[in-house]
Order: sequence, then C-alpha cells, then structure tokens
Amino acid sequence: MDEQMTETMADETANAAALPVSRDAANWARPVEKLAVEGERAGALNLNVAGKGLTGPLQGFGALWQKTYRLPLAAVDVSPAQVMAWWKGHLPELMPDDSRFYPSMTGVQPGEVVLINATLPAMFGAPPMPVSTGVLILYADDESFSVMTPEGHPESGFNTFSALEEEGVTLCQIQSLARANDPVYEFGFRYMGGGAQQEQIWRHVLGQIAQHYGVEPAIEVRKQCVDSRLQWAKAGNVWHNAVIRTTLTAPLRWTKRALGRTS
Amino acid sequence: MSQFRPFSAALRTANGAAIIDLSGEINGAADAALSDAYAQAVLGRPQRLLLNFHDVDYINSTGIALIVGVLAQARKAQLPLVTFGLSPHYQEIFRITRLADFIGMVEDEAAALAG
Repeated sequence: MDEQMTETMADETANAAALPVSRDAANWARPVEKLAVEGERAGALNLNVAGKGLTGPLQGFGALWQKTYRLPLAAVDVSPAQVMAWWKGHLPELMPDDSRFYPSMTGVQPGEVVLINATLPAMFGAPPMPVSTGVLILYADDESFSVMTPEGHPESGFNTFSALEEEGVTLCQIQSLARANDPVYEFGFRYMGGGAQQEQIWRHVLGQIAQHYGVEPAIEVRKQCVDSRLQWAKAGNVWHNAVIRTTLTAPLRWTKRALGRTS
Repeated sequence: MSQFRPFSAALRTANGAAIIDLSGEINGAADAALSDAYAQAVLGRPQRLLLNFHDVDYINSTGIALIVGVLAQARKAQLPLVTFGLSPHYQEIFRITRLADFIGMVEDEAAALAG
C-alpha cells in the first residue's frame, strides 16, 4: 500500500515537473472573485474594498485613456531594480497628503490590497469630499508593479509603476490605462478638476523620487485617448461609487466616534 | 528555466480572418511590433481577428496593457477578437484582468476559425 502511494506521488510529481511553469507565474496575483482586506492598517479608513470585484480598463464607463508619466534619472548611477526596490519600500511616503496609500505589512506583493484614503478637490462651493477605496497589487517583479481597481474606485483600469533603462539612463515611469468607472466620475474628471488632480498625484510621486535622487523633476507626460466612446451599459457602476458611499456613511462614522468617546 | 526570447508578431490570413502569431515575451518592448501587426491586420478588412498565443512564454503587466489596447481598438472597429493557444496560466490572467469578459478564448486555431 505504501509502495503504491509512493508510486502515485512520484507520478504526480513527474507530471507536475513536466508541465511548463511560466517565469511570470509568481509575479501575478491569484484570481479573486471579491477582494478581502487582510491585516490592520493603522490610521486608514477601510471602506468600499472588501467584497468588491475588480474592474479593468474595459469594464468602466468613460473614455479610455492611456497616460504615461516619465522621469529620467539623468546622471544617476542606479539600476532600474534598485530604483524599484526603493520605490516599493517608500510607496506611502511618496503620495500627496490628499491621496494616502496604506499597504499591508507584506508590502507590494502580488495579491495584496492597498487601501486608499483620498480627498477630492472642493469645487463650485462644495466642500472637499473624502473617498475611501483601494487597489489590488495585480503584478509585481523586480522592475515594476501594477495595480488594478475595484468596483467603486474613481477609475476602472490598471496603473503600472516601472523603472527601465533607455540609452543608458534609468527612467521612472507611471502608466495608467483606465477610464472613469461611472457617469458621476466621468463628469468629475472632465468638468470638476478630477482629471487634473489625478495627473497631479502622479507628478507628485515622480517629483518625490526626483528629490530623493537629487535630479530636476523633468517629468514628461503623454496622453492618448484609446477609446473615446462612453460605455452606457456600464452606467449602473454608479451603485458602487466610493465617493458617494464614503460621504453618505460619514454621519454614521461620526456618531460611532462620538459615542465611543462618551462611553 | 526557459530562455529569454524577444517578441515577434507575424500576420497571416485564413477564411476571412486575420491571424497574428505572437511569439516570445510580451512586455513593453513588444509595443511597436504588436501595434504594427494590428495596423497591418485591419488594412485587409478581416471579418475577425485571431491572436495566437501558443508560442508566448512570458507576459508581464505592461504586456497585458498592450493586449488591452489591441482589444480596445478592435472593439472600436467592431472587429471580433478571439484568442487561442493560451496556457491555463494565461487563461487565468485573462480572467483576473477581466480581459476574458470581452475576448473569446478557444483551444486551437480550428476552433477559433470555426467560432
């Protein structure tokens, strides 16, 4: 019996060894139906992430844009892998105050969730609006990592953060391929300064990297509208809108906090 | 460990379909070759576009973004896009990135041409 079991296990091992394993296999997140937020994130408001599905560049509502932000680290003797290691290790500190990232203790690893607490700009007399959301680390290797958005996030798509070498110069690059997740966000991006704020966030991140390496923040931005059509079939995504949900649940959080203080 | 192979994209046609045979690594360096192959493919006004992944052995997230770009252009041009030859690993990646919502995935070329 033991011999039979040993033979079966040996056969399975041989079969597994015969299957080619892609070099990128460990770099990708495992498939998930719904996101789960593991571990404590000190200071973060954890809303609109757990239980949400993922939305890629094809699932959102608005026009699909590819935006590329590049910073050359001219005359800096540093490899792309070294830059990326530093970038991953300092991700929260590189973000502006109005868009805070809260990674898990594990850091930037495939399958981890990064919580995001942001504030949308005040416009037309309306006060700034808080938004609590997050992203999934979809892919990570030594020179890049990518995040994918959940339902309710302002954007639907990917952001890829990478370091690469071109003509002997190490470049830092942020490339987003995304569209507004619903009609409210599309309006906000087009007419309420949301698009400019998004661009300002990535300029800020690259500016911080430039400062660390002691170079001028000569950031190049390229924008390309990949598909200008609105996907009206996805207008119902507004049900998950994280800004609306974060705002509407604020009184409940204030009440809980007040009761917590008095009890 | 598999060997590094640069990306290439070869265009051919069959039964009114344009078939792009992809080979090697799909990463940022594949951008120009993939865009050229797509541009050449649509010039022939095919009824559908087939992407053959049988000889692809590495895709990173930039590579997936390139495929999304091809798919977005094909959808805009109302050109049905079908893939074949995807390993189970890449089928899984197409599912998590939700490309699978919009791209047909079949086992081989015969099935892709028949579908």
